[in-house]
Amino acid sequence: MNRRVFMAVAAAGAAKLADAQEVPEAIRKLRPMLDGVQPITDDERRARIEKARRLMRENKLDAIVLEPGSSMFYFTGTRGNAGDRVLAVVIPAKGELGWVVPMAQRKVGYEIRVATGAHVAKDDDDAFKLLARVLKDRGATRVGIEERVRFAVYDGIRKEAPSLEFVSADPVTAGCRVIKSPAEIALLQRANDITIEAYRAAFTTLREGMTNGELANNISAAFKALGTTGGAMAIFGKYTAFPHGSIAPQKLSEGDLVLIDDGVSVEGYQSDITRTVIFGKPTARQRQVWDLERQAQDAALRAANVGATCESVDAAARDVITKGGFGPGYKVPGLPHRTGHGIGLDGHEWTNLVRGNKTEIQPGMCFSDEPTIAIYGEFGVRLEDCMYITGSGAKMFTRQSPAIDQPFG
Amino acid sequence: MKEFGLSAIVLEPGPAMFYLTGVRWGKSERSFILVIPAKGEPAWVLPGFEEMRARELIHSGADIRVWQEDESPYERVAQALKDRGVAAGRVGMDDAARFFVFDGVRKEAPKLDYVSATQALKSAGVDLTQPAMGRRGKQ
Repeated sequence: MNRRVFMAVAAAGAAKLADAQEVPEAIRKLRPMLDGVQPITDDERRARIEKARRLMRENKLDAIVLEPGSSMFYFTGTRGNAGDRVLAVVIPAKGELGWVVPMAQRKVGYEIRVATGAHVAKDDDDAFKLLARVLKDRGATRVGIEERVRFAVYDGIRKEAPSLEFVSADPVTAGCRVIKSPAEIALLQRANDITIEAYRAAFTTLREGMTNGELANNISAAFKALGTTGGAMAIFGKYTAFPHGSIAPQKLSEGDLVLIDDGVSVEGYQSDITRTVIFGKPTARQRQVWDLERQAQDAALRAANVGATCESVDAAARDVITKGGFGPGYKVPGLPHRTGHGIGLDGHEWTNLVRGNKTEIQPGMCFSDEPTIAIYGEFGVRLEDCMYITGSGAKMFTRQSPAIDQPFG
Repeated sequence: MKEFGLSAIVLEPGPAMFYLTGVRWGKSERSFILVIPAKGEPAWVLPGFEEMRARELIHSGADIRVWQEDESPYERVAQALKDRGVAAGRVGMDDAARFFVFDGVRKEAPKLDYVSATQALKSAGVDLTQPAMGRRGKQ
């Protein structure tokens, strides 16, 4: 090695060391937690497609159209990122899946495991023609469009096939996705376990004067050390009243509440956990509101039984908060949003614990349980754990926070 | 818009919204929509509990219409269109708008004809290639 090369290597090594030293020890000593993770099998995906076909018949749909995203991944195992180009799959009620892939990505089509072959499109206009032809070949007249398909793609297909009727595919896609299999619950469990470990380490790094950005970076570093990736939201003091934080800069001081709300993904399955904890000693007011929040979270957990409506779970949490002197309804100070959302391959997915949702709770459904109490100008408290529904009631993936100064049970 | 025969444009968060208003917002399942009529003031339709955070980004005096968690954002969009005199004709949709947003709007305002807004936006000089994703809400 000549001297010049040696110098470059030494400099790179030093820079690496400096990076490593900025990460607090509690986070550096974390190790990946992905041992033994079982990905979803092709057999399970085939069973999902069969269920989708049944739901299509029940909902008088002849086919559904999906672009890359969580639903395409759910049914086919293909992520299929094609940038702005059109890549889509048609799942018909009868017959073979029909893939349309751009020339540059034609390999993606052949890598898919649950179907053979793909139509290769020269450009987007060609893709729309091919999609229209696939739909006609499968005898489709009423077509479900997956909820996140871009308007441009829908518009392109309808111009090529104006006689078809295009409606929402939600009864089929959400109809399948809302009920989780044991394999899915196991992946969600792992994502939750990793998130708790990251939070545990990140909370040891709290110190006077740190910014919320630093704490968020520590959480991200912890996720990385645990073998995964995830976004990070950390909020301090009075800004904890904003459910999604504020752009205002925040430095931690004695007596601040600290709220973190985050999650990771394991084989695509998401976690979403919030902890609100006191830095220093809580005031009587902070403790009282925190305890009320915990009672509201407990009430939703108890209410989430098989056969109960989703809206009744929201009402159970909201009643506790209203009786505690907040609200009513979405009025602040109080609970300005729904009590929870579905969770799976998307951090937020169907179906929601919200007023007006009369969907009955069934075994295999997964929800967040997170009734915020927001008091603008003072602070906010949110405790969020996710639950899965069993025949004998709702079970949390994680132990709830027992007290304002104890984030972990 | 007038050149392209559009009486309004409907945008989700993204490059066009950012270019025209400076507002970046993460797309989530909770619709956050900007209605720009050919005549009259634009109108914002956004989730009620995000109003405080949104007001940090949107200029004061703007027409902001909130929807609560059990309400339909698309009723608000349809009302905004009506308030600006858009009762018939063509409305330009953001090409990147998700199907559920378009589907929600067309159910509330079924007499309008929805077409792509891209040509009108491009000829107005809107740069549709800029990345403009804000942070996605976690709640």
